[in-house]
Amino acid sequence: MNESRRLERLAERDAVIPVELYGLKRGTVTVLTACCVLFAVFTLIPLAWVIINSTKTQANIFQSFGFWFASPFEFFHTFANLFRDVDGDGTYSNWFLNTVLYAAVGGGGATVLSALGGYGFARYRFTGSQLLFGAVIAGLLVPVTLVAVPLYLVYAKVHLINSIWGMILPSMVSPIGLYLMRTYVTLSIPRELTDAARIDGAGELRIFFKIALPLMVPGLMTVLLLSVVATWNNYILPLIIFSNNNLYPATVGLGLWSQHATTSGDANLYPLLVLGGLVTIIPMIALFALLSRYWRSGLLLGSVAN
Amino acid sequence: MSAISLENLTKVFSTGVTALAGLSLDVNDGEFAVLVGPSGCGKTTALRMVAGLETITSGTIRFGDQVINGVSPRQRDIAMVFQNYALYPHLTVAENIGFALTNKKIPKGERDRRVRATAATLGIAGLLNRRPAQLSGGQRQRVAMGRAIVREPSVFLMDEPLSNLDAKLRVQMRSEILRVHQSIGTATLYVTHDQVEAMTMGDRVAVLHNGVVQQYAPPRELYRRPANLFVAEFIGSPEMNVYEASVSDDDLVLGSQRLPLGTAGTVLAPYRGRKVLAGIRPEDLELGEAGATLTADVRVVEVLGDELHVFFSIDAPAAGASTLAATVGEAEAGLLAGYAHNGAARLDPRAGVRPGGRVTFRVDTERLHFFDPDTGIAIR
Repeated sequence: MNESRRLERLAERDAVIPVELYGLKRGTVTVLTACCVLFAVFTLIPLAWVIINSTKTQANIFQSFGFWFASPFEFFHTFANLFRDVDGDGTYSNWFLNTVLYAAVGGGGATVLSALGGYGFARYRFTGSQLLFGAVIAGLLVPVTLVAVPLYLVYAKVHLINSIWGMILPSMVSPIGLYLMRTYVTLSIPRELTDAARIDGAGELRIFFKIALPLMVPGLMTVLLLSVVATWNNYILPLIIFSNNNLYPATVGLGLWSQHATTSGDANLYPLLVLGGLVTIIPMIALFALLSRYWRSGLLLGSVAN
Repeated sequence: MSAISLENLTKVFSTGVTALAGLSLDVNDGEFAVLVGPSGCGKTTALRMVAGLETITSGTIRFGDQVINGVSPRQRDIAMVFQNYALYPHLTVAENIGFALTNKKIPKGERDRRVRATAATLGIAGLLNRRPAQLSGGQRQRVAMGRAIVREPSVFLMDEPLSNLDAKLRVQMRSEILRVHQSIGTATLYVTHDQVEAMTMGDRVAVLHNGVVQQYAPPRELYRRPANLFVAEFIGSPEMNVYEASVSDDDLVLGSQRLPLGTAGTVLAPYRGRKVLAGIRPEDLELGEAGATLTADVRVVEVLGDELHVFFSIDAPAAGASTLAATVGEAEAGLLAGYAHNGAARLDPRAGVRPGGRVTFRVDTERLHFFDPDTGIAIR
């Protein structure tokens, strides 16, 4: 196993083509690399700030240099407080678990629906299929903020205000996921495979579950990642539909703390806010690291004939 | 009764393209029938229609005496080998071969037995636990065959199954497929664009062009008695030399040269004083001065070891030359003709023929083929 991995690494090294062969000058490459590094630094600065300041007291957050540590080291103290009901708004742990629930069910549901819908659009032609797919794509272009008011009114009618389903159901709809899966199926599952299964006597459901679905896994992981991240970071929707603090996801909960911290100047909410933010993004970073293998192959597969 | 019979099968795609125009042919029990033709002639479409993967615009497909036009692929009791094998990449060889049996809910014990027996027949028993990605092209081809024969179907369909293999393996798999066919004896419809495959494998071969069957006959007959110009030129390599000629008295006039026809001329009686297309197979030309002869300028000589392919030019226009002149203009066509050859001969490798030289061929006039210049239909 190790041997094959070593060979793989060596092969990768052999496959590297000197930049001159791309028709690029060394100088151009240096400038481009510098731009990339700058951009990386720019995106990583907030993350570094959050990590450093999650260890500080409220006073030090404002008074010490933002990009270096200051004593006392308050990380564990703040961490313990994070899971207490600090000022009567509700607890972070509750919000965090809500986020996990919404993201898992909503993002998972979006993945399942995208798989079914994407396969359907890719493999079956039916009256109005183009129109329907066009409508789905049009859905990509509509920002949630635009539909906030009508959504609220509809939710009020169907009793989804202050219901977890009000958060989960819309999260299960992912136009981009459907679009990606349709493209993925079209490009990476040869029609002959499904034809062969049909001739081998398999029914449509069996073809989907036994032949197509296992081959769709890399694409599905991409969709899962996208939809989980979208639900995890969703702020507007839960803000509109929840008035009960106990149903808040972490985004809205932290938003509430942030409001209180600025208006009431209350004791020590800032360290909690910073650490809460950090804890909220760690699962996403972990998920991305875990699925990045699929994520990459998901984006590339099908673009090159094997 | 035929195992497969196609009657007036027509396919018009929604784009308006007619892929098949009234295809009719039948395949007898145990027969190996080949559909051959250039790409885009409709052969794969025909096969997919027989498989039920393509809708039928009009016409009838029968298996035995049963019309199967509206029957779904899974209920047709067919097996098909695809050009790219279409193996399920995430399943093992055993699972690939046994997939159809699992669908039929055949008990595991029986399924395993049949999968193993099939694998043994094809010499892939040692590969049952591998996945397709771990197999060579030839092995994948065998798995695809195994997946088809394990079902014991009533009809076997093959869509260019050898086209992805290298030349040597292709020859080997050709005889392998025939061996399997002879042992199971299932009616087979085989599609290919390769006329060598068609000639070597088919009991009968249907030559397809523009969605129409040009001739459906045993290989020998296709070669010796082509029904029309298309078949004559399509079958055989190097292809048949065909020239625009005219019939004068008892002679065939090819450019500035005359071939006395003798008895071969009787079929040309209605064409006396008119144009005709005359065809000569490359192997029906040999070096020699006696009898009917043609003098030619040698352009290119290809040494194949066991024979020589001599490409030459004579001053008679090749069939299609007038179309060329109409397209590019007389002067241009003349210029092209100056460089190009318009005929080929297959000679003994010891023949001392050099490019740039002039040779005289003896022509066996009994073996000439004649075609009507307007319809292309063989004159017999």
